[in-house]
Amino acid sequence: MEKSLKTSSSRLFNSIYIEEQAFEYPITKEIIKSHPNSPIIKIRHYKDVFNRPKQNFYIQKHNQSLILAVKDKNFLYKGPDVCQNFGHSNFYYTSFLLNCIFDCEYCYLQGMYPSANIVAFVNTEQFKSAIRDVASNEPVFLAASYDTDLIAFHNVIPYMDYFHDFFKENTDILVEIRTKSGNESFYRCHEPLENIIIAFTLSPQGIIDKFERYTPSLETRIKAIRTAISLGYKIRICLDPIFINPESDSLYEPFFKYIFEKINPDDILDLGYGFFRMSRDFFKRIESKSNSRLFAQNYSHYNDVVSYPPDIQNEIKAKHIDIISKYIGKEKIFAL
Amino acid sequence: MWIKLLVLAALPRYDIMFLEILKFMIEQLEGTVWAMIYIVTALMLEASPIIGYFNLKRDMTINSYPVFSNKEIALIVSGIGKVKSAMAATFLISNYRITGSDILINIGFCGAQAGKYPLGTLLLVNKVTDVDTGKDYYPDVYIGDDLPKDSVACCPRPVGDNDNQYECSLFDMESAGIMEAAYKFFNTQQIAIIKIVSDFLSPENLDKQVLRSYIDINMPILDRILNELKQLNSMVTSLDFEAEDKLISLISQNLNLTSAMKQILETEVRNAKRKGLKILEILERHIESKANTKPEGKKIFGEIIKDIKQQAF
Repeated sequence: MEKSLKTSSSRLFNSIYIEEQAFEYPITKEIIKSHPNSPIIKIRHYKDVFNRPKQNFYIQKHNQSLILAVKDKNFLYKGPDVCQNFGHSNFYYTSFLLNCIFDCEYCYLQGMYPSANIVAFVNTEQFKSAIRDVASNEPVFLAASYDTDLIAFHNVIPYMDYFHDFFKENTDILVEIRTKSGNESFYRCHEPLENIIIAFTLSPQGIIDKFERYTPSLETRIKAIRTAISLGYKIRICLDPIFINPESDSLYEPFFKYIFEKINPDDILDLGYGFFRMSRDFFKRIESKSNSRLFAQNYSHYNDVVSYPPDIQNEIKAKHIDIISKYIGKEKIFAL
Repeated sequence: MWIKLLVLAALPRYDIMFLEILKFMIEQLEGTVWAMIYIVTALMLEASPIIGYFNLKRDMTINSYPVFSNKEIALIVSGIGKVKSAMAATFLISNYRITGSDILINIGFCGAQAGKYPLGTLLLVNKVTDVDTGKDYYPDVYIGDDLPKDSVACCPRPVGDNDNQYECSLFDMESAGIMEAAYKFFNTQQIAIIKIVSDFLSPENLDKQVLRSYIDINMPILDRILNELKQLNSMVTSLDFEAEDKLISLISQNLNLTSAMKQILETEVRNAKRKGLKILEILERHIESKANTKPEGKKIFGEIIKDIKQQAF
């Protein structure tokens, strides 16, 4: 599997599957117009393709197809315990996209979905109404880029163009958009809003090289953060996932120092910190098919979550937080 | 093994380096799992250009179907219709030990709406609709970048221009049967449905020589498709666990492991080998271990699992 699994195609998507009912939506029309060389395959329901048995996730990851679909239910989900809620009790997440263009070796999506193809939901208006319903009673913290990277995908489907005005009008919805993207033009094209937080996932370059295939370098991400800050965006830094092993341990201290040399801590809203962790089910699924040594290590299981043993986590966390808090107040650090 | 002995005997003794390199190459070759290509055609007319091109020989040990093969291709002539194609595909692959690198291909003629493709065009199918059941099948098509790709409707009888009530532009009678069998035994990227346009929905009185020529002219393309498929599927290497399984059996006997514990050990060993860990070394360290009681066996079993996990660091 070390060899490239990409076939020779120069197209962005191997094929574009489109649900019968999705053809009339603006996103679909734009995609058909902008990808004239991709074969279009009409389907009845996205699950007929996405949930097929016996798909090879890793070959698909290198030859991704796009599936355009109309979401009919479950527009929002309650935020899971393994995710940081940053002090917000009414925490939801939503997925306009399933799967990601990046290929992180540690990513839970390999265990969550049977396919590496990307599903993009085109009925944005129904998403808005579902979000509005949930936010009608009390303010909501909404993670909008969990099972994907919306900003990295922005040049394919500009979801923020569809949602920007909606979020501007609905200030009771605090939106977090998590990203590893270095796409600076995104920030130049959209006015920053009080209720939108851009959460950048940062890792030491050694970890990026080892585990985060096709993602921008640390330097590029930091450049994007600086651009976003200069344009008035609220920025969250996510140091997540942190890995514990003899090779990685020495990378973190200089990494923390480097971040705050490049970014003024006063310009940061807050910081999330969390170790590599995953639901036991996802872990088991990935373990049985992945070639990654990451999934051959010995982990602890607690409440159906696989991660490092708690005593080691506490020891490393104390050491790391001690360093980070030299730059940023402890009240701004949210550690899982 | 006899090749190894023959080569070793023929070599000059002084060339130790060369000998070592050659030994290594032979070991690699011995460990190679050759991918098998299974081809299903409905008609002998479709099969015979392929048999000739790849120099396939009739397998005289099989009487139920005409089967032709060489060391990497096995072709079966199924007869017309999806039930026959499903039966033949299942029969063929049941006669071999299929692996994750093998490929199942259906090659055959299809009717097409006039105007979309010229006669003799070779197409890769990315969606098959069984018009009897309404069920859709989707083979993943990663090959033939420059070739046309389209959907096919699999019908119970030949479709003429007058009785075409379907949305599709291509029609055949076997693809749904192949897909049904393929979904059971193969991954979605191991399947290819290849169609060649024989007529514009006027399936009567077709000239056999002309039909044969449509296959003949497409043989170089077909050859290229097979190579692309082989290359793609060889990347998903199926590992051989024979040596590990032998050691696991021995260790399980020595430690009186339960079936569940043996199964856990097998899973851990397979996962570790897939991740490139030197798993045989770990197992070999434990083959001498013996347990007289269940708790002793359980303790050593725990140590083996710990050793495997430890190596991942």
